[in-house]
Amino acid sequence: MTVDRISTSFAYDSALNNLMSRQDNLTQTQEQMTSGKRVVKASDDPAAAARAERARALEDRTTASQKAVDASNNAMTLTESALGDASELLQQARELMVSAGDASYSDDERASKATAIKAIRDQLLSVANRPDGQGGYVFSGQGSGGAPFVDQPGGVAYQGVGGSINVATDEPLPLTLDGGNVWLSANTGNGVFVTNNVNSGNAWIDSGRVTSPDLITNSSYDIQFSTAGGDTTYSVLKDGNTVSSGNPFTSGQEISVDGMSFTISGAPADGDDFQTTPSTKSLSVFDALDSAVAQLSKPDQGGSRVQQAVEDSLRNIDQCNSQISSARSFAGTTLQRLDGVKGRLDATELSAQTSRSSAEDLDMVKALSSFNQQQTGYQAALQSYATIQKLSLFNYLNA
Amino acid sequence: MSSSALMSIGVRAMFANYASMQTTGHNIANAQTPGYSRQTVQLASSGGQNTGDGFFGKGVDVVTVKRASDDFLEAQSQTASSMAAMDDARSSNLEQLETVFPPGDTGVGAAVGNFMNAFVDLANSPADSSARQVILSDAAEVADRFSTAGGQLDRLQNGVSSDLRNSVAQLNQMASQVATLNSDIAALRGSSAVPNDLLDQRDELIKQIGNLVKVSTIASSDGTMGVFIAGGQRLVLGAESQQLAVTPDPTNSSRSVISISDSGILHELPGSLLVGGTISGLLQYQNEDLVSARNQLGQMAAAVSGRVNQIQAFGIDLGSPPGAGNPVFAVGGPVATPNAHNLRDAAGGFASSVSLTVTDATQLKASDYTLTPDPATSGNYIVTRQTDGVQFSMAPNGGSYAFTRLSDGAAMGDSMDGMQITINGTLDPNDSFELQPVGRAAVSMARVLDNPAGIAAAAPITAVTGVANTGTATVASLAVVSTSNDPTISTAINFTDASGDYSYTLTDASGNVTSSGNGTWTAGQPIALNGFELNLNGVPASGDTISVVKTAHPESNNGNALAMVGLRDETLVGQDMQIDGTLQDGETATDAYASVLANVGVRVQSAKTSSTLSTAASQQADAAVADKSGVNLDEEAGRLIQFQQGYQAAAKVLQVAQAIFDTLLQMASH
Repeated sequence: MTVDRISTSFAYDSALNNLMSRQDNLTQTQEQMTSGKRVVKASDDPAAAARAERARALEDRTTASQKAVDASNNAMTLTESALGDASELLQQARELMVSAGDASYSDDERASKATAIKAIRDQLLSVANRPDGQGGYVFSGQGSGGAPFVDQPGGVAYQGVGGSINVATDEPLPLTLDGGNVWLSANTGNGVFVTNNVNSGNAWIDSGRVTSPDLITNSSYDIQFSTAGGDTTYSVLKDGNTVSSGNPFTSGQEISVDGMSFTISGAPADGDDFQTTPSTKSLSVFDALDSAVAQLSKPDQGGSRVQQAVEDSLRNIDQCNSQISSARSFAGTTLQRLDGVKGRLDATELSAQTSRSSAEDLDMVKALSSFNQQQTGYQAALQSYATIQKLSLFNYLNA
Repeated sequence: MSSSALMSIGVRAMFANYASMQTTGHNIANAQTPGYSRQTVQLASSGGQNTGDGFFGKGVDVVTVKRASDDFLEAQSQTASSMAAMDDARSSNLEQLETVFPPGDTGVGAAVGNFMNAFVDLANSPADSSARQVILSDAAEVADRFSTAGGQLDRLQNGVSSDLRNSVAQLNQMASQVATLNSDIAALRGSSAVPNDLLDQRDELIKQIGNLVKVSTIASSDGTMGVFIAGGQRLVLGAESQQLAVTPDPTNSSRSVISISDSGILHELPGSLLVGGTISGLLQYQNEDLVSARNQLGQMAAAVSGRVNQIQAFGIDLGSPPGAGNPVFAVGGPVATPNAHNLRDAAGGFASSVSLTVTDATQLKASDYTLTPDPATSGNYIVTRQTDGVQFSMAPNGGSYAFTRLSDGAAMGDSMDGMQITINGTLDPNDSFELQPVGRAAVSMARVLDNPAGIAAAAPITAVTGVANTGTATVASLAVVSTSNDPTISTAINFTDASGDYSYTLTDASGNVTSSGNGTWTAGQPIALNGFELNLNGVPASGDTISVVKTAHPESNNGNALAMVGLRDETLVGQDMQIDGTLQDGETATDAYASVLANVGVRVQSAKTSSTLSTAASQQADAAVADKSGVNLDEEAGRLIQFQQGYQAAAKVLQVAQAIFDTLLQMASH
């Protein structure tokens, strides 16, 4: 007769093994609930652990990028306010210049205007050399070994390297601006050509305008006056070659040459020469103000020289202001862009955190329910062990 | 008809019942003894005697004591138990290995990420010494974590060797005990009875040995049991046992192998033959899991260190005077270990040696290699990569060697997998070397730069667009990509038309033109001259100029710091050089670490699953054995009562026989 025998010691052993493994599972669940994490070590869920690791790296990276964005934000805020200050100062200089054109002013009064403009020029130099609070300079471009603008005989020179330094983000965000471009590279003349009073003390030429863009050439032109025969005529030379001559001259009348048009007013003398040359991007704010100061400081100027000085200086100041405004709007739009970048970085950080959490965090509700289940199972196992071990034939045999 | 017949029947019966009770008592006493097989007394009728009136029975005989055992079930249980021990050993050791690669902020990957991210702060303010200090301390943390992890792996290796020694010592003791039992059992073979308890003991010892290493047994006719391991190597034969020993692996003495001592000479047992048992689990862990973990860790260390140092060398630091940056990290170098059996010279040293040089740390693979002389061509060598078995042939080529992949004949150039090999001396045809390009990299990783000013944040060259440019081209990025870059040379690029054609001139520091030429720029492609790559945004117009000159003010330039930040996205671990010279991407540092930890996690998971399955199988097999040969106390209690009653009944028979004899005597005395 075959009997399904249970070996006593084996029965105890296997019941104990069962208890041990239930206890182990219970402890593991408890550990998960205490730490709040489902994945504590990689073997808990290797794919989720790898996902969580990548998400964590992304989180750290966005934090670093946010610091970079803040640095750029600070720099551009400083830049924008510096350029705002510069614009205001130029506006003041402009008003002084306009008022200096008053024909009734004496030399002293003009000289005092000149002094005021000189003071504005010095202030502008210190704005150009504004520090960025971190040991560098706002307008240092790709680096300058100290203050980027240096006042030396011959004018203000830019010591920095052109371009700009960017922070370490995925899109280029600047930390500095190219000072040479902002302060030393305004358009000369009216942007297309420059009018120049070479030697006339009795007439003055205005800034001119473009009437026909297609006809503009890259040549230099001379307007030479002669008063032979009692009439004032002028000849037009292009690159030194005479194009026309004997043109009658009327003060204040428009002269048009090859798409350019300008007005000469006053009474030009014989041999007076006015020139136009193509514009270049080489006008320095400081040179513009320096030459205005120099002109106003000269005594015994006479009406037309003052007119010329005022005309030239206003033209130059306007060009400089336009260059500075354009840089200011660049700083402004960069600040707007930074807001967008910040928003995107915040979204990326949130997404990384969510990804990490979903990979490794514990679903507390699931865990609690499985803990309860395991607890009940463990209790049942303990009870059954206690009950069965009491059952033995030896209990019922008396000697 | 004599009373003596009745008496002898009674005596016999009493004896038989007493023997049964004794055996039952023995069973009860040994209920908890491991390996004990339940014994029962075999009773047989003593037969009958023909008295002419019929056959009268003579009582009961005790034939023998038999133990309940089934060889087949025993063998099954041994095998299952052996497998369970192997899986358990591997699983518990792998759980220890897992602690070397934690996920999250305490891991190696987090330290590398922090280090690279710290360069973002440096890029924000290159002259800031506190940002530099943070970078240095992050670098120390990276080196620290790598070397700690490497040290832990070395300690785990030592632990394996020590566990192997313990297991082998136990095994040797048990083997000699089996041999003793064999001789005892053989000596008792003469009698017709079976020495049950000795047999039980021997079976149990063999099972214990089986838990250490899988054995096969062959019973021989003299009652001894031959025990064989490793596919036929005898461990115990008759009354003699061999001793195992743990010896250093000839290919690399830091690893251990099992050897068997045969007539005083130690023979190495190949690991592939030692299946089953703790020893086999430990060997598999040592030779596969530990090696793989060490190589993967080392590959990351070498690649990160190599690229960081390279970029550092391309940049300018804040020294006085500023110069090229010095290395930040140092890692353990590649190692070539000669096999212990290699040919030696007269003085006892090795006759030949191999040395390795790393040419490109990003191409190093996480694998060990074996180098042997090519048996087909003298002077050539075969290098086998151990992770995937790919073989390369190494042929002398001028002063160095040319590598060819054997599977498809592809030419790999003068370096393979990022390293170059130099052979010193002549190899004997039986020599072999183990090459470890990355195995020792992590444990010796250290930060070797201590001065914050030594961090090369500045790029050596700067690109400036011409002031009078009319096009929309701006500099997107400028990076030094090769050591051929000479920062003292100025490069002037002049665009000759609107479709990107340009002419360039390279001028040295004294103003002499060193080279000039033409090129065409296309959007998205860099302009590569003088060892740098210049990327442009926008479109240049005709007449625009760009000049690339030496950086005038290194203290405010952050170009090299930006390049370091770019390492976060660079796939610098395990790049593959294709035959056509292009580099196939590897993994970024973060992804490489995520891979390693997932890899180890998967190993642990699958080892745990194997262990659970094989433990369950082992328990089932044990249950089957217990069913057959286990002691059930209730059953024994019942039998005890049964034989007690039988004994009492037999005693009664004796009493009656005695009473009859008394009666006869009384009758005879009258």
